[in-house]
Amino acid sequence: MYTQLFGTFLLENNLINREQLIQAISSQKEKHLRLGTLAIHAGYLTSVEVEHIHTTQTKENKRFGEIALQLGYLTQEQIDKLLSSQKPDYLLLCQALVDLGFMTTTQFEEAMKQYQNLYELSDLDFSNEDFDKVALHIAEFFSVNALEDPGYFARYITLFFNNIVRFIGSDFAPLPITCQDKYSGKYAAIQEIYGKNRLISGISMDEDTLLSFASRYIGEDFSENDEYTLASMEDFLNLHNGLFAVNLSNDESTELTLQPPLYKEELVLDTPVYVVPLAFPFGTVHFFFNAL
Amino acid sequence: MREEKILICDDSALARRTLKTQLKELGYENIFEASNGEIAVSTYKEQAPAVVFLDIVMPVKDGIQVVKEIIAHDANARIIMFSSVGTQANLRTALEMGACDFLQKPAKTEDIRNILSRLIGG
Repeated sequence: MYTQLFGTFLLENNLINREQLIQAISSQKEKHLRLGTLAIHAGYLTSVEVEHIHTTQTKENKRFGEIALQLGYLTQEQIDKLLSSQKPDYLLLCQALVDLGFMTTTQFEEAMKQYQNLYELSDLDFSNEDFDKVALHIAEFFSVNALEDPGYFARYITLFFNNIVRFIGSDFAPLPITCQDKYSGKYAAIQEIYGKNRLISGISMDEDTLLSFASRYIGEDFSENDEYTLASMEDFLNLHNGLFAVNLSNDESTELTLQPPLYKEELVLDTPVYVVPLAFPFGTVHFFFNAL
Repeated sequence: MREEKILICDDSALARRTLKTQLKELGYENIFEASNGEIAVSTYKEQAPAVVFLDIVMPVKDGIQVVKEIIAHDANARIIMFSSVGTQANLRTALEMGACDFLQKPAKTEDIRNILSRLIGG
């Protein structure tokens, strides 16, 4: 999740715009990490040294590693270590942004340092995503600390993101959270939960986005919306809320009761809701919840 | 092909479709569907299926109430609670009411095969 939130951080700090972020997210899937990106991340090379190797590559028909060895920037041992190391996801985003010309490696590095310092995150946090730590980060990132039970909502949002990654895909950026006095949306599914906190949550999206959302969720290509694509929203929401209820039951012995999810072609909620739009390459999925 | 009748009770058309596809992959052809608890009870009484896959969160009549009514009609009914809400309380209540087992959604076809194999063999 740190990678997705870092994308939002870049957006909020005007380092890239929304279209650029979505374009980078779309292209990062097809990318393979290059040795230069890995070497900068490991602290073996600076971005200036990587640029020097790239310039040399334009004159000599050799691979990156060979030139790095030749120039004395890397040892064979370091190259072997880089190739076998675990690679954090955000490096793919970095490479996509750099390749598309939206940022330089140096700008990306500086932004990453700023992000890590601001939220006191280490490289290790990015490699080993611990649920509770991510939830704390999300509470701070989305300022849910202002809510009555921030821990509860942070866990709820974190699990929602995890389920989005698990059932829809990781190629999204959560856009800044907003609080709206009323909420209206087309193609929506809502569900009410009773228990520790009474909660209404839901998702909504436009018709085209629904088609892609359902195709990914169901694992089939749909050319037009039908009862199954509409049901995919309710199904996903019920699955997410069910898993949340299971987690609370197992971890805190807190029992929640779920009402059946409802599909609304035109949803109007006359009550304040928090909305987190998730920007996917295929469209935006609006996730909303209301603490009653 | 397996001859046993299977009843799927779930308010989600998509969940019914997914489970039906998985059951067909396992060779089951006699599959009945119910979109709410009330229809589930009446279909059970009409068809006497070998196994029921039963969701918990449903409109009209929830899964726990359905277990109670089916067991009152047939104490030997084989009911698998099939839900995303596998909380301690739901599990305990469903098993106390007479359900045989619980399967967490989403389930792999292999898990469905194993649970059916335990209940009706094959």
